[in-house]
Amino acid sequence: MDEGGWVLATAIRAMALGTPILWGTLGEIVAERSGVINLGVEGMMILGALAAFVVAQLTGQPAVGLGVAAAVGGAAALLHAFVSITLRANQYVSGLALTMFGLGLAGLLGRGWEGRPLLDTLPEISALTYAGLGLAAALWAVFYHTRWGIVLRSVGEMPAAADALGVNVALVRYLAVAFGGVMAGAAGAFLSLAYRPAWTEGMTAGMGWIVIAIAIFAAWDPLRAVAGALLFGALFHLSFRLQAWVAPELLKMMPFAFTILALAATAGGRRGQGAPEALGVPYVTGER
Amino acid sequence: MRRIYLVLALVLIAGLAAPGAAQQKLKAGFIYVGPIGDYGWTHAHDEGRRLAQQRLPWLETIYVESVPEGQVEPFIERMIQQGARVIFTTSFGFMDGTLAAARRYPNHIFAHASGFKRNRNMATYMADFYQVYYLNGLMAGALTRTGRTAYVGAFPIPEVKRHLNAFALGVRTVNPQATVHVRWIFEWFNPAAAKEATEALIAAGADVFAFTEDSPTVVQVAARRNLPSFGHYSPMQKFAPRHVVSGQLVHWDRIYIDFLSKIYAGRYTADNLADVDYWWLLAEKAVELGGEPGVPINPAFRAALQAARVSTPDLGRVSVYDLVMRRLAQMSAPQMTFDPFTGPIRDRKGVLRVPAGKRLTVGELTSMEWAAPGVVGPWPKEP
Repeated sequence: MDEGGWVLATAIRAMALGTPILWGTLGEIVAERSGVINLGVEGMMILGALAAFVVAQLTGQPAVGLGVAAAVGGAAALLHAFVSITLRANQYVSGLALTMFGLGLAGLLGRGWEGRPLLDTLPEISALTYAGLGLAAALWAVFYHTRWGIVLRSVGEMPAAADALGVNVALVRYLAVAFGGVMAGAAGAFLSLAYRPAWTEGMTAGMGWIVIAIAIFAAWDPLRAVAGALLFGALFHLSFRLQAWVAPELLKMMPFAFTILALAATAGGRRGQGAPEALGVPYVTGER
Repeated sequence: MRRIYLVLALVLIAGLAAPGAAQQKLKAGFIYVGPIGDYGWTHAHDEGRRLAQQRLPWLETIYVESVPEGQVEPFIERMIQQGARVIFTTSFGFMDGTLAAARRYPNHIFAHASGFKRNRNMATYMADFYQVYYLNGLMAGALTRTGRTAYVGAFPIPEVKRHLNAFALGVRTVNPQATVHVRWIFEWFNPAAAKEATEALIAAGADVFAFTEDSPTVVQVAARRNLPSFGHYSPMQKFAPRHVVSGQLVHWDRIYIDFLSKIYAGRYTADNLADVDYWWLLAEKAVELGGEPGVPINPAFRAALQAARVSTPDLGRVSVYDLVMRRLAQMSAPQMTFDPFTGPIRDRKGVLRVPAGKRLTVGELTSMEWAAPGVVGPWPKEP
């Protein structure tokens, strides 16, 4: 195939696989910017995937499935928010529990839904892809050019100061975590309605963890998340294209290693600056 | 006070009744490596368990799913405590743990799928697809327009290599110039990897698809490009009714019912299993050709396969459709008069692997590392 064909084909694959990764990553970035790390992305994503698939099967309307998946993802995230913000439990433990809970519950409820073809699907490169790109730009603008962005970031950097200025820290964090869940649920819906499209237990197959890694290595920057998601999608596809010439054992690690290396190398001094100061720390009024 | 006597009496009655019932029933435990909902390997084993339970009124079954390969022993212990007398472990990686448990519980019966270690109380069993892959290959060879067929492989291990080689032998029988392009995903279940591997093969010009992965992803991706494919393991024709030509289906219930019935009848005991190895193929009906039970070839492809003609040494010039049906009948007969791995067969480097007139033994089939002619792509551990 000529070079132009290679580039175009790889770009299309990058957009297809990059879409769910980007949606999940943007959600996680917003949550982490508010100071709450959510390791439950995998769980929220698979709950979204199942909800979307079941609703699309029952109604014949994939768009309705997408909406329900987003709501389910958001509801799952609220569990994490309650445990980690209101009860001030360890965020890492709570997030891991959410992943296990989500995988288990989706497996249980999804029994009998495997092996069913979906008649009404969503296209792979769809409004979701462009919405993801648009959302990244919008979030970037919100973060750095609006009052909301300042509020969100100060809650994640120095919640005590934000609190002193009259910001409702818990509310901001709740909203940010819920937004993350909505995005993860929608990402899961993309998997079961467009990318696959089918339901199988465990079908997210670790994508939630890729999302968390990209959120961190993108230095919590929405635009860099776009680069990370597309780079990962392109490299993942290329790892199979290149098997004709390069040992597959080496290629297996390539998308993971190269994406992280590329993001880390270009982050420069921004990574330390980008990490929310209060990430992972429960906020207690009056304590420092 | 009187109520306590009543409870005691009930407990006594239950205690007396229970052993009586237990003597009637045989309890079997199944240990799965994946989730039942995988629509692949574990799903198929659980179908087998459920069919066996339906068919055998004296059978009682329990199961655990998603058991990590290194941790099978505690799960075996628990099943034995729950009263299981027969334990099935259904993943290659459970082999050593199952053997250790078999030695520790000499009066219980164990059966391990896809392995090669046995004991006086531990049998092995496998329903293998190589014959069916060969038949799929015959059809793929007739249907390819670019001369490039494709195979998405899970792991480069002897089992998958055997299936891939059988597929390639079939392709080359019909189309001596055609190639089989391979991509490995190094996972039994990963839809995203299967998808991108398929896209990579499409980009390389392949136009007919076979695979080993536990989801219908390859079938779906090929169908979106209007390209034919072969289902794997579970009925997948329904995912692409106009594009799935055929495929491989498994019937583990055949093995489970046979094995359990022989235990129940007293023919198999915890003392005579050292040589019991079920290696069940088409003839035993443990595997089936088709993308849907009872449909060996999708009628949508019948005309195309009848139009393609091929010369054979034993049947003369026949259509590919007839050739597939003939070979299927030959391999389904109790006395197998055809086997794909009959010599002379050279590997893709030209080394003679099966001498003329010889058939590969089960041991040679299960340790196959070489690549058949026509296979293009990486082949880890190629001799």
